[in-house]
Amino acid sequence: MTVSDHDSVISTKDLGEELAKISLDLAKRDNASYAELRLVNTRSEAISVVNENPASEEASTIGVGIRVLYKDLGWGFADTDELEHDSIRETTKKALALSRGASKLGIKVNRASEPVHVDKWATPVKKDPFRVPTETKYELLQDTTKRMKENDVVARRGQMTFDFIEKYFANSEGSKIFQTLSYAGVSAIVAAKGPTGVQRRSVQQNTGGGYELVDEMDLPRQAVEITKDVLALTHAPTINEGKSDIILSGDQVALQVHESCGHPIELDRVLGYEANFAGRSFLQPDQLGKLQYGSEHVNIVMDATLDHGNGLGTFGYDDEGVKAQRKYAVKNGMFVGYLMSRETAPRVGESRSNGCMRAEYYKLPIIRMTNVSLEPGDWDYDEMIEDTRDGYLMATNYGWSIDQKRYNFQFNTEKGYRIKNGTIGEMVRGPTYAGITPEFWNSCDAIANRKSWVLWGTPNCGKGQPGQTMITGHGASPSRFRNIRVFGAS
Amino acid sequence: MSQKMEQQPIPLRERAHQIFASAKSVAGKAEAEIILVSRIDEYLRFGNNELAQSQYSTSRNLSVRVASEKKQGRVTTGTLDKASVERTVEKALSQARDSPEDPDFLPMPGPQKYRSVNRYSEKTVEAPAELKAGYIGSAIDLAKKNRLLASGVLGTSVEQVMMLNTSGLEASYRGSGGYFSLTMDADNGNQTGYALSTFGDIGELDPNKVSQTALERAQMNKNQADIAPGKFDVVVDPYAWSEMLLFFAVSASTGYSPDLGMRQYKEGRSYLSGRLGEKILGDSISIDDDVYHPSQAGPPFDGEGCQKSKVSLVENGVFRNVVSSRISQHRYGAAPTGHELPLPNPLGELPTNLVIRGKGATKTSEELVGELDKGLLITRFWYVRETEPRTKTVTGMTRDGTFLVENGEIKRPVKNLRFNQSLLELFNKVDALSEPVRNFSEFQQFRILQPGILARDFNFTSVSPF
Repeated sequence: MTVSDHDSVISTKDLGEELAKISLDLAKRDNASYAELRLVNTRSEAISVVNENPASEEASTIGVGIRVLYKDLGWGFADTDELEHDSIRETTKKALALSRGASKLGIKVNRASEPVHVDKWATPVKKDPFRVPTETKYELLQDTTKRMKENDVVARRGQMTFDFIEKYFANSEGSKIFQTLSYAGVSAIVAAKGPTGVQRRSVQQNTGGGYELVDEMDLPRQAVEITKDVLALTHAPTINEGKSDIILSGDQVALQVHESCGHPIELDRVLGYEANFAGRSFLQPDQLGKLQYGSEHVNIVMDATLDHGNGLGTFGYDDEGVKAQRKYAVKNGMFVGYLMSRETAPRVGESRSNGCMRAEYYKLPIIRMTNVSLEPGDWDYDEMIEDTRDGYLMATNYGWSIDQKRYNFQFNTEKGYRIKNGTIGEMVRGPTYAGITPEFWNSCDAIANRKSWVLWGTPNCGKGQPGQTMITGHGASPSRFRNIRVFGAS
Repeated sequence: MSQKMEQQPIPLRERAHQIFASAKSVAGKAEAEIILVSRIDEYLRFGNNELAQSQYSTSRNLSVRVASEKKQGRVTTGTLDKASVERTVEKALSQARDSPEDPDFLPMPGPQKYRSVNRYSEKTVEAPAELKAGYIGSAIDLAKKNRLLASGVLGTSVEQVMMLNTSGLEASYRGSGGYFSLTMDADNGNQTGYALSTFGDIGELDPNKVSQTALERAQMNKNQADIAPGKFDVVVDPYAWSEMLLFFAVSASTGYSPDLGMRQYKEGRSYLSGRLGEKILGDSISIDDDVYHPSQAGPPFDGEGCQKSKVSLVENGVFRNVVSSRISQHRYGAAPTGHELPLPNPLGELPTNLVIRGKGATKTSEELVGELDKGLLITRFWYVRETEPRTKTVTGMTRDGTFLVENGEIKRPVKNLRFNQSLLELFNKVDALSEPVRNFSEFQQFRILQPGILARDFNFTSVSPF
């Protein structure tokens, strides 16, 4: 099933074909060595309730992004939301003018080849969110925030978001690809004040698909649990600074993968193109196949295919027309691969991009994470707890920070528990852990099995200048790390 | 390329009135408000001494709010033809019908008077890409001569806003601005220096100064010495803060929602709830929200079109006021200050133009370094996040040049450090300040004027390998 009832008077695919012909013909006549056009038609909905106050917003955008390469020396990009033929010609000319200017300060671009694709692809959706009445959504969110209402609770919030994107891509090599992409996000957050200050508990998930995520999340039930948690946290002790074994919840491992593996394997930052803002990377090309990034238990894949799951990094083709693929970044602990583009892949001896260029239509595509996931291990979660003599269980991220080369990190989590002799004990507030990336991943000695593995979503990954926000997926299950520096957040 | 909007076939004001007429006719008896925003951005982005990513972007965005019987809906679209506008208003009407009553609903405000601001620079709008590429070419040449790699961005933007509602309100704004952000580095970022300049008028930009600053810092910042973490007196360059001081105004504990508004304060959501009149910062520190400051940017009206007032939030260290709105006036009898976000807004009011300043005479960054007996000069903070809301403790890293200072002189670079530091404590230990400057980061979109400081006992907790 695909989502229907979109606004288009003319189909996005037909309009894309019409506009691509105008733009690509013009670029060819003006001696562009390569050109591509994306027409993107997006419909979004965000509904939230904070305490007693409702808010909703629906948004639709449609526009074209055109990227051209001049004499294989300079890129230019221009976008417009005016879709008349003259505007498309004008926008193509602007991209061409920028590419000619850039060619004077550019170096030779060698792009990896990619087969020509004429195809279509759609995110599987079980329940079209735009057909669910607004009243139904509000009723659920009001029920959620109502169940959080307790003495000492100071903020209650429930939210759901839905995106439906039609994307037509064509390039001067003959590829013509039409995709419909659907994403859903659901979250609840509760904050309470008590003797330990303000504490927070939250639940959040973002995936590909539709309203079925809301049904699966059952926010009203989870609202009761996190409210009970947050009130307990306002009286919970903190933890002493020291070294300890830790078990991280799956959602926390997902963010750890995002920050300490997903970003340093972006090849554009490795090559210096992000040095001024997002930063560089400690994972250099001469370490491919040589650096023991993690322990033998650690396997991290870059997988945009649907076989991996319906995540925020799942699609048919990336934004330069490269088909979705699965590759290892870390295999048995060894660093073996990067997230790449057609332009950067040859710089590390690869003959083909693994399809990681993504952006909104009005931004120039850059290398972004797809689904960068830690593969499940062979531990039953309960056995992992039972096997831990002395340590902490830490769950759900509160704050995160990592240096620009992705070495030195510190994450604090919303709640934790002491583990003693294989049993989960006292709750602790603001448990925090810190370390150096390769040392940390080499201390991983247990990863929970597929029963505990979830493909989590990160809906707000920032990178690029001007800033771009991208959605990324991260599969993970609870994992154990030995002898890690821990302390309390306050 | 010119970013002049007058080249558009229909001026924005005329277009806004055409759209509003359509919206009103579809809305019928319901109240209606439109906000029409038009932007043109040009960014020349470079990396590895190449002009790698140049882009020219035009966009229009129409946001429609309708309200009836205490219910409201908001729908936005980028498509402005008559049929699309009518469909957008119909959707907003449908959304309002299906929404619960908003307990804070108020009829839309009528005509307002606005204090004028002049934020539009013909020079910026007309600046050709060739001029900007020339600035970048000079930076790249300088980097190459010194065996360094230049990367960064030079961007300019022009924005025009029109707001109309069925109570007769009409507000308009146009502004331009930009920034030049530059890193020069070598040895995979082990040697690096950074500089930034923001401007409203591109004539204010001194590209050579930006290039020279990045170069000088990169030349100094190599072979960094080991350093043990601990408490250090510091000089923080005013451009170093770009990701940090927004945490005075937002909290992670409530999902990155704003803190310094009346509704959050009264509901107990703010980290400062119950602390008005309390001394929270040092005697020398004051914080205003002041959209009219000559170095500030943005429109003089809020998300429902009310005029913004200057508000003294912290005066000589004492927490004096929070920002307010018509809703807070209705709820609590507070005088509105024009700090509402576009409605419906369940989060509360937001100060949008913070100015953090010191009392008395200010000093240059060089003078602040000259007064530091022993400590660290910080040129850039990175990846700052809140760890504890009550004390506003944040963690983050230094990058692109952290220098040991002894007897008022820079002695040597040191490795990057992680900190865990309470902002409230830090701003209680400030000995001297420089003039505030307008900072910018892709992470922090707030408009905050921030000073450099000389402060005691900054808490560094670990060290990076580089």
